[in-house]
Amino acid sequence: MAKPSPSAHKPRRKVKQAANAPSSLRNVGPVETMSRAPAFPLAALLWPARGTVSQWELLPLILMAVGLFRWAAGLWGYSGFEKPPIFGDYEAQRHWMEITTQLPISQWYFHDLQWWGLDYPPLTAYHSWLCGKIGSLIDPSWFALFSSRGSHDPTLKIFMRATVIVSEYLVYIPAVVVFVRRFSRLNGVANWSAAVALVAILMQPATILIDHVHFQYNTVMLGFVIASMSSILAGRNLWAAVFFVAALGFKQMALYYAFSVFAYLLGSCVFPRINLPRLIAIAGVTVVAFAILILPIVIGTLLDVHRGIDSRPDIDGPRPPLPLFQGLADYLDTEAFYYPVVEQLVQMVHRIFPFARGLFEDKVANFWCALNVIVKIKKYPAELLQRGALVATLISIIPPNLVLFFRPRKDLLPLAFAATAWGFFLFSYQVHEKSVLLPLMPMTLLLASSHGLNKTTRAWVGFANILGCWTMFPLLQRVDLAVPYAVLTLLWAYLLGLPPTSLAVYFQEGSTSWTQWATLFIHGSFYLVMAFWHVLVKSVRPPPDKPDLWVVANVGVGAAGFSLCYLWCLGRLFLQGEILPRSWFAKKDKAKTQ
Amino acid sequence: MTAEIYPSLAQCAIVAAALKVLLFPAYKSTDFEVHRNWLAITNSLPLWEWYYEKSSEWTLDYPPFFAYFEWVMSQVAKLVDPAMLKVYNPEYDSWQTVYFQRSTVIITELLLVYALQMFVDSSHGASKRAAQAAAISILLSPGLFIIDHIHFQYNGAMYGILIASLVLARKRDTLLWSGLLFAALLCMKHIYLYLAPAYFVFLLRAYCLSPKSIFRIQFVNCVKLGAGIAAIFGAAFGPFALKGQIPQIISRLFPFSRGLCHAYWAPNVWAMYSFVDRVLIILAPRLGLSVKEDALHSVTRGLVGDTSFAVLPDITPRMCFALTLFFQTVPLLKLFAQSTPTWDNFIGAVTLCGYASFLFGWHVHEKAILLVIIPFSLIALKDRRYLGAFRPLAVAGHVSLFPLLFTPAEFPLKTVYTVFWLILFLVAFDRLAPASSRARFFLFDRFSTLYITVSIPLIVYCSLVHAAVFGKRYEFLPLMFTSSYSAIGVFGSWVGFMVVYFTS
Repeated sequence: MAKPSPSAHKPRRKVKQAANAPSSLRNVGPVETMSRAPAFPLAALLWPARGTVSQWELLPLILMAVGLFRWAAGLWGYSGFEKPPIFGDYEAQRHWMEITTQLPISQWYFHDLQWWGLDYPPLTAYHSWLCGKIGSLIDPSWFALFSSRGSHDPTLKIFMRATVIVSEYLVYIPAVVVFVRRFSRLNGVANWSAAVALVAILMQPATILIDHVHFQYNTVMLGFVIASMSSILAGRNLWAAVFFVAALGFKQMALYYAFSVFAYLLGSCVFPRINLPRLIAIAGVTVVAFAILILPIVIGTLLDVHRGIDSRPDIDGPRPPLPLFQGLADYLDTEAFYYPVVEQLVQMVHRIFPFARGLFEDKVANFWCALNVIVKIKKYPAELLQRGALVATLISIIPPNLVLFFRPRKDLLPLAFAATAWGFFLFSYQVHEKSVLLPLMPMTLLLASSHGLNKTTRAWVGFANILGCWTMFPLLQRVDLAVPYAVLTLLWAYLLGLPPTSLAVYFQEGSTSWTQWATLFIHGSFYLVMAFWHVLVKSVRPPPDKPDLWVVANVGVGAAGFSLCYLWCLGRLFLQGEILPRSWFAKKDKAKTQ
Repeated sequence: MTAEIYPSLAQCAIVAAALKVLLFPAYKSTDFEVHRNWLAITNSLPLWEWYYEKSSEWTLDYPPFFAYFEWVMSQVAKLVDPAMLKVYNPEYDSWQTVYFQRSTVIITELLLVYALQMFVDSSHGASKRAAQAAAISILLSPGLFIIDHIHFQYNGAMYGILIASLVLARKRDTLLWSGLLFAALLCMKHIYLYLAPAYFVFLLRAYCLSPKSIFRIQFVNCVKLGAGIAAIFGAAFGPFALKGQIPQIISRLFPFSRGLCHAYWAPNVWAMYSFVDRVLIILAPRLGLSVKEDALHSVTRGLVGDTSFAVLPDITPRMCFALTLFFQTVPLLKLFAQSTPTWDNFIGAVTLCGYASFLFGWHVHEKAILLVIIPFSLIALKDRRYLGAFRPLAVAGHVSLFPLLFTPAEFPLKTVYTVFWLILFLVAFDRLAPASSRARFFLFDRFSTLYITVSIPLIVYCSLVHAAVFGKRYEFLPLMFTSSYSAIGVFGSWVGFMVVYFTS
């Protein structure tokens, strides 16, 4: 990306001055543009674009470059590739395109639940329908009912990869671009630094590995969440609510952020003065958005009933009771015209929130799974565990959301989102290792904040991301994706000047404070453990009676590291939110904002 | 001391290497099997049988240094997967083989990085920044990206040696090494013979003859150069000469039985010639021209190896050779006429030799366009007139490589990467190239802007619209359009550069 700085030509477009920071605390002007040499390789690559190159020249190049890495990574295998009998996430997504295009809408949530039954909210179903329709134009056999199961047609793979990339470029990428633009302006970060942050965010290895290699559409949900955050930045709270409903409607996992969105929106209606009309408007828009979201299913179900299409053709006898809220049937007339709709919606909720499953499914780097190593918690009754998880989650997420409620400030959004999502990831029920993408997203967005590219922030954001990828290694390794894992993670570490490629983030020019030594010590030991673990996995077989030993070790280390990330986000939030008297943290603060 | 220029070559090379590793599972052409077979031949057969082994269709047809190079690599390959070294193991591509062969391409490309660093270090003052940009443009070249890292070949390393040799020619005291390195390169890949006339004239004038008069011969230099070249060729061909295998090697290296145009049409004069021929087939009845019926069949296919023409006279290898030599000689006369030929003129002459052989040569492969683009890149930023001639070449040359990759998975890679490169470097070069001291000549810039603009609908048509409208029918059309379009660009840029070369 060598765009040498211009000498002969003046650009036509004047570079806009960065908007002033809203808070007098922030130092206007990024550190990096002032210095004479780039502090890390990514800055060096964009070095020639400083100053006079307009964003509109730079942005297409950035989007092309990150797109190339995504597509190239997509050449590798996907989850469940040639792994019968039920394959993996790729087959799940393909199967949903199959059922949504081939079956009447009222059967979507009921069809053969043993084979990747639809268990995502309606927007995913509509998205699958659209992709399936387009794909069927190219080759109808890809989504033929039943006969297409487990297809690994190489052209189908290209089509599926293309749907991921197109969906991402329609949702996630515009959202990130707009968010970075607004957030950096808000924080008084110069355009060039914002561009560096943008590349760093878009090259985040975890999302590429999970979406473009392992296969899923997480970026669509994350994109809607970012769009919601970015609407908040722009002061469009109603749009924020709409986008957030879209995120929830795409993937229920967005609930990780729900508390923060709620806390902020509520806070903005209460502070500085109570604003009742705003509250009512937000609530109204949210309800309407939800209604629109389920409207196709409601209308479709009614139409299907009208046309005599049964939602469960596999069942001959009397209709089974509702899977949830059994009491509801007592109050409702099961023969009424609306009853199939109720049944449909209850089934949808039942599919989306599988309360019946265990506390954790696989080995996940969260608190419960780590605790399970020491105390076999699975022997306790499920009800107790559920309640325990609920309490622990609430305790962990209440502090950040209280801060956001009392200080509904735009610049606090990513920190509060990150802390809340870490809380959910660490303590909640039914966590999947891929869920680490949720806390990583807002934490990575911090790179676009004021001093976001300085050493402390980079060190922590980098630590969280690299640790996050590392905890997903067992998942990726199962389908032989070690090479893209290594390449994308190391590349990102290299670009941002992080370990294992460089230790520079831990040393200031001149003096290094004790907090930095402490950070170096903590991060350094984690990095060493990660490296050692890789060597171990590669060279030593786990003892036969403990075949999962390495994975369990991974989980334990991951949970410990993520807890640190949670604490760091929380601490930063308290500092920036000025919840505690500044004098308490004067010394620490000084070190952190340097 | 001048400040460091960012980004450095190493930084770009690391990021590019990451992308290239991700391309391991990408499409690979038969060249992958060719090189695997050579690994097998050199490893498992005695030297004397290398050029006789023909159990595979992909016989060894590179000069001996390249065979030695394969032998060295095969010593490592042994440790990775011995099965890839079996001669009778066609199409073998275990993942170890793919990883190994793909990584050798990336590792040997370090030669190119080193040579480019030499080039940057040899530039001083204001031009250093431009040299850095040119070096990075070569390092990230879509040509090398498509040919080496997807299609599969070792051009990166070969061009590394070429650039090192060109850079050594910049200083008087390393002239000898420049010549010797080029001789070694010829013993690795004989395609560089196309550039040899420029080297011959340049070394003759600048090294073997006195700057004062062409009639005063510097005997010591002649002996050094002659002995050195003899030693290198001896090392390469000596072992084979002992067994009298030279005629066999020659027949392998220069298979004259091939046709005028390669399987696809390289964008040269003959592509335009075939295009005109094809148009004349349609017009022939009206113009009263006679059409050779037997040629019709092969021409309409458009994909055949040996093209015969239906209306226009056929072309013989002899005619190609004469035309090539003539258009090589013209710029070399100017080089020879200078008492001390400048480096810029030498590079210009090398570029023009590349142009002449690409445009008029017999059985030219479209990959050979790198012979023009890469030397030209070294001087493209000299001033805006050079850049004006370079721009259509950069577009045409790279677009003409697209047909090499035809699989859907690689389509976004080749197009997005090439468009990325073109935007990045054409914009960057535009800012870096200083204004020329001479007035602009004719409307060359307008032509090049128009030309570059046309490429966008062309790419869209060839890659998307055609398949959507015609499906599999008229498959030759997109190839013919691409090739004729590129031919116009390469030809136009050649004319433009000839003018620049002779007027500066």
